[in-house]
Formats: sequence, structure tokens, C-alpha cells
Amino acid sequence: MSEAITLLAMFKDIEPASEGVEKLQQLGVSDDDMNVISGIPVKHTILGRPSAITYVSRIGLFGAILGMFLGIFFIYGIPYLYPLLVGGQPIFPVPQGFIITFEMTMLGLMGFSFIGMFIDSGFPSYTPKEYTPEVSDGKIALLFSCPSSEQEKFIDALKNVGAESVAPVEARHL
Amino acid sequence: MASIAKPLARPHAEEHEDPREHLMHDPLPRGQMNAMVMEAMHTTSPAFWAVTGVLTLIVLFALGYEWYILIMQGQGMAGVTRPDYWGVFLVNTVFWIGISHAGTFISAILRVLKVESRRPFTRAAELMTTFGLVQAGLSVFMHLGRVWLTYWMFPIPNERRIWPDFHSPLMWDLMAITTYLLCSTMYLILPLIPDLAMARDRTQGGWLKVFYKTLAIGFRGTEGEWKNLTTAMNIFAFAIIPVMFSVHTIVSWDFAMASRPGWSSTVFGPYFVIGALHSGMAAVAIVLFLLRSTMKHYKYFIRPEHFNTMGMLMLMVSMAWAYFYFNDYLVPWYGGDVWDKLVQEYTEKGPVAYLWYIMLFCNIVVPWSLLWNKKWRQTPWLLAIAGLLINVGMYLERYIIIPVGVTINRMPFTWRQYEPRIEVPMTIGTFALFLLLYMLASRLIPLIPVWEVQEGQEAHMLRKFGRTEVSTLSDLE
Repeated sequence: MSEAITLLAMFKDIEPASEGVEKLQQLGVSDDDMNVISGIPVKHTILGRPSAITYVSRIGLFGAILGMFLGIFFIYGIPYLYPLLVGGQPIFPVPQGFIITFEMTMLGLMGFSFIGMFIDSGFPSYTPKEYTPEVSDGKIALLFSCPSSEQEKFIDALKNVGAESVAPVEARHL
Repeated sequence: MASIAKPLARPHAEEHEDPREHLMHDPLPRGQMNAMVMEAMHTTSPAFWAVTGVLTLIVLFALGYEWYILIMQGQGMAGVTRPDYWGVFLVNTVFWIGISHAGTFISAILRVLKVESRRPFTRAAELMTTFGLVQAGLSVFMHLGRVWLTYWMFPIPNERRIWPDFHSPLMWDLMAITTYLLCSTMYLILPLIPDLAMARDRTQGGWLKVFYKTLAIGFRGTEGEWKNLTTAMNIFAFAIIPVMFSVHTIVSWDFAMASRPGWSSTVFGPYFVIGALHSGMAAVAIVLFLLRSTMKHYKYFIRPEHFNTMGMLMLMVSMAWAYFYFNDYLVPWYGGDVWDKLVQEYTEKGPVAYLWYIMLFCNIVVPWSLLWNKKWRQTPWLLAIAGLLINVGMYLERYIIIPVGVTINRMPFTWRQYEPRIEVPMTIGTFALFLLLYMLASRLIPLIPVWEVQEGQEAHMLRKFGRTEVSTLSDLE
């Protein structure tokens, strides 16, 4: 079996790009072996692709729970460790508990969602990657792997559905 | 008798509006929009550097040097003394937190409600949030006096074995403002990443290339990256709204929880929130006018339709503010408590009563008389003037609540007229720092979220409907 090669197909618009995805699927390229790079978010159903898995919500939820417990510690744990008697006020009040717990829960939720976005996307990453700056100018790139011996077949197939260019691509510094 | 529709002698102007006047129906190629935004960022005139230089000097003197004096010589340099321990520094804190509410409102609430006209100016508003909160934070530290003891408020054990009292509204404030500052900064960064990647792709060499490359964190726009980014943005859009409401509510509790005439009010929470939106919306109008007037190509992105949207929001919020203000005014007036009456009489007839009348004029008369007319709302300079006057009014509102309100208490022998001293240059310093940060940011980061504009333009179409063309919106998100 010949070695796999990575090709980058450029499309001007969404329609030919979605046809390109369909063509690659017909040619036997699995969904895991292709990736669509675009300058705006494109819903997976528009391209006929499976939905990308994200763990951001789960990481955010974990952060919210962590923040909630931290808030509860602040409002109840600290007065337990170091009771500070303020005239007539209870040491463990319920209404004030909601305020600090709410703030810490939201901080945990958003802080961890932010960190989760970084972790799940592998950011920051300054290693070489397959990319072309034309993407941020509005073009759609289809990145996929295929056997090098069949390269011409894939190039012809994608050009037939409207690819502007299809060429081998090497990882480079962004 | 059947009614007959008669044609108007002079048809309304909007009936002949060209839909292509709207940004969403006037698309340009993405590359061209990118080039316009990058050119605007990298075009600076001598006037720009002159203003930057003047602002830098003001910040160094009015903020840096005066603060040094305040620290070295103590709070006696300020006008605060019994009974006015809370002066202009806290007025500034409340004012700047109010300004910061606009970013979240526009970026989060309008995003959740899918108000499309928000797209080109979300970042300009988010940036106001972050820089406004910086001023609010600095103002708190000015008020603190002994800033080197700030760590006493952090939950770390200290030598006195006393941890912070989280039962105090001031500690709630610390937690709420810190949460809001951190979260709004993260919310500013998230949608900025794709535009930083665009800037990276269009920058050839030099320190700017390194700058954008570092901040773009390796973003390419793969399906997974977009999915993670949009998921995080959706979480933020929903979660930051209650945080925004909580921040100014908690700020209001700093006052309302005290058993003082004029302050102890159950309506202070929503009244403060709507006041924050009032000043924040008005500040966005000013910023949009300045950006449109001074940044190259921004007339394409920021159009009369956006001023119209802002104008409508400002009018709506000013009505809500008037409702809450009247609510807060009427109940103590009707209740007849002698101390509340004294505060109201001092505000309306005392030596600084003119501030109260200016406030009412700026916050109610100005928006209600200028913003009902669509043509006037679409006039950028007019909306900016309205925004400026509203902010004068909202600053005075906070001034009346804090140092003026605190003058009248239940110990008449302490009554004293507050007069700000070192607070004046330091206040000017916070305004200068806000403008300076904004001006520098306008040359470093794309203030127009180009990818969001393109996304909106892709979703909008004109459809022939009967004898006219109507705007249709596809749900691409």
C-alpha cells in the first residue's frame, strides 16, 4: 500500500465545498481523515459532516460545581474557621450565602469554559500546521489524506465539483 | 361603511428605503473587508499621536502623580471628611461600572436575542466594558487610601488571624466586580481570536507579526476549533447576563444595605442596573460616533441603521430609568419620614439643587425630545451629543446619591457640604486613561468583528415579495 499524502483543496464558497466533502466520502475518505477549515463557523449539517465533539460544556459544568463549593467555603467555611462576630448577625447566614455562591459559581463556569476551549482545541499551539491564509479571506479549505498513488484521482474529482486548487500541503508555521 | 385606504400626501421616508443601505445587504468580499479593517488599524495621523501624547501626559500627571501625592500624604488631600466619607472616587466607581454594562448588554443580550444590527459594534462595546472596569477598579483603590493593604480583602490567612467578612456588602462587591472583570475580559477575547488570526495572516514580519501570532494562539478555523469557540461563546452569552445584573445590584446594596435616609431603598437594585444601562448605551453612541468619524473605512461598517438601533435602545432605557427614579422618589416622599424628607428637600432646594435639575434635564428631557424621531436617531453627531448629555446626567445622578445624599444624616451637627479636591484631577485622569487605552487598542486589535459581519451577511438575503424586496434571514448558526 502506498504512503498517505495530505492534500488541501480550496473552494470559493460553501456549496462547492459541501459537494467536495460528499465527493471525498464517495471516494472512501473517512470523516476522520478530512477537516474543513473556514473563516466563519459553518454548521456541520450544511457540509454534510458529523458534528464535532466538544467537551467545553462539560469542563464548564465542572468549573461551575468547583466554583460553587469554593463560594460555599468562603461564606460558611471561613466564619467556621475564624468566627467574626458582627453585632446581631448570624455566623452562617443563608441569604448572603446565595450571593457569594452565585458569583463563584458563575466565575467557575465561565473561567473553566474559557480554559476548556483552550484545552479542547489544543491552544495555544505554535507548532507547524497545514493551513493557508486564504481561509481568513473567506475561502473554504478542505484538508484530507489519501494514498499518494491515487492523488491525481482525488485532484480531478474535486476540481470537477468546483475546487479552485487542490495541492499537497505541508505543515508550516502560521 | 367600509373603510377606504387613502394614499398619504407625503409618503413616509422609510417606505422608499433601499435595503442595500443596510450593512447586512451590502456585502463585500471577505478579503476586502479584512483589508479595510487592517488599513484602518494601521493608519495614524499626526493628530492621533498628538491626542495620544496629550492623554499620556494627563494620565501621568492627573492619575500617576496625584495618586502618588494621595498615597504619600493621605486621604486628607481629598475632600472626604465627616460625614462625607464617600466622595467622588466612589461616584467614579459606580459611573465606570455603569459604562461597563453596555458591552455585555450589546454583546450578550443582543446576541442571545439574535438582534442582527449588533454585529459590527459588539467588540467596540465589549472593549468599553473591560476598560470601564479598569477605571472602576482603580477608583476603588483610590478610595481605599492605603492600597498596599488590599490583600486584607483576599481570603488568605494573615498574621491577625482574621479573614475577610464575606457577610459584608463590600466583600460582595469585590467578588462581583472581580468576577465581572475576569468574565467580560474572557468574553472580549473569545470572539477576537479569529480576527487576530486574520490579522496574523495579513501581517508580514516585524513585532506586529509576533504579537498577532502569539495572541491568535494557533487558530486556523477547523471544525473542532469553531465548535469549541462557539460553544464557549454561547455559554458566556447566557451566563454573563445574570452576572451583569448582579454586579450593579450588589453595587447598589453598598448603599441600600445601610440604614441611611435616601439610601435604604428596596428598589435600588433594578434602579442601579437600569441606570448603568442608561449611561452605558449613551457611551456606546459616543464611541460609535468617534470610531465612524476617525477610523478609515468605518463608515462602511457603522451606518445610520446602527445609530438608529442605539437610539431606540437609549430611548427605551431612559423611560425605564425615569420609571425607577420616580418609584424611588415617590415612596419616601409619600412615606413622610422626616429624614427622608430632609434629604429630598436638600436635593431639590439645597445649595446643589441645580445639579438635580441638570440631571433630570439630561436624563429625561434630552432623550425624550431627541430620540423619538428616526431621522434624528440616524444622525450620528446628534446621537453622540445626546449620549454625552445623558452621561453628564448619569454622573450627576451618582454624585447626588453619594456625596450629596450622605450629607444629610440623622446627626444634624455633622452636616457639611462636600467639596472634591484631589478627586477632580484624578477623575480627569480616569477619563484620560479610558480614552488612551481605547485609542491604543484601536490600533492594535480589529475593532470590527469581521467574521461576525461576514456570518451575518451570509445569512441575510433579499427576496422578491409582491412588488418589493424584503429582507430574509437564514438560521446558519
